[in-house]
Amino acid sequence: MPLYESVLIARQDLSPAQVESLTGDTAGLIKNQGGTVTKTEQWGLRNLAYRIKKNRKGHYVLMNIDAPAPAIAEMERNLRINEDVLRYLTLRVDAHEEGPSAMLRKQDDEPREGQGGPGSRGGAGRPLRPRPQRSETEQKGD
Amino acid sequence: MRRDNRSSRDGERNAAANRKPFFRRRKSCPFSGSAAPKIDWKDTRLLTRYLSERGKIMPSRISAVSSGKQRELAQAIKRARFMALLPYVREAGDIA
Repeated sequence: MPLYESVLIARQDLSPAQVESLTGDTAGLIKNQGGTVTKTEQWGLRNLAYRIKKNRKGHYVLMNIDAPAPAIAEMERNLRINEDVLRYLTLRVDAHEEGPSAMLRKQDDEPREGQGGPGSRGGAGRPLRPRPQRSETEQKGD
Repeated sequence: MRRDNRSSRDGERNAAANRKPFFRRRKSCPFSGSAAPKIDWKDTRLLTRYLSERGKIMPSRISAVSSGKQRELAQAIKRARFMALLPYVREAGDIA
């Protein structure tokens, strides 16, 4: 059966237990449609890079699924209906990656210091001039 | 003026523009070869290396990524942006 990798973001004011039950329901739904969820990974509460539906943080859950296509369509339909799920991304993959995904692997090696690794920056990424903080309330002359 | 064949094409194209062709050691694609890291939209540490400060995708002429891998990289970055792992635009102030 085709292999899928699905990641969903749940609302930030869900308790971890609710997130667990959400993933459990989704996995159950896949199972009774004839598929299997080979791996479930909780990335926990993470900061979102931008606000989604007024949420700054979200519970991320990764699932590796081996199921027929209708099961995936049904799962996605439910995720769409469910208000607690902010966003989901299901991809067809050729092979599931074993072991922890890049997200969990990243945590055990040293935390990311700043950004921009050894890759050369070249002309495009010239250093930014931080814009002066202009706030209407207090007119601070700099 | 000695010119090897690769830059002779650039030479012709902007011969009038600059007399002295701009020589740059051709960097190898970081994703070719055996020890190349796999491009994965969940691996934000790898992806941020190919983003500019503003969060824009770095052109392959600067990051020296081969065209096939650049397409793969761009798709991974767009997926990571959709799933809020990477910002679409990064303001000058905040370094996420």
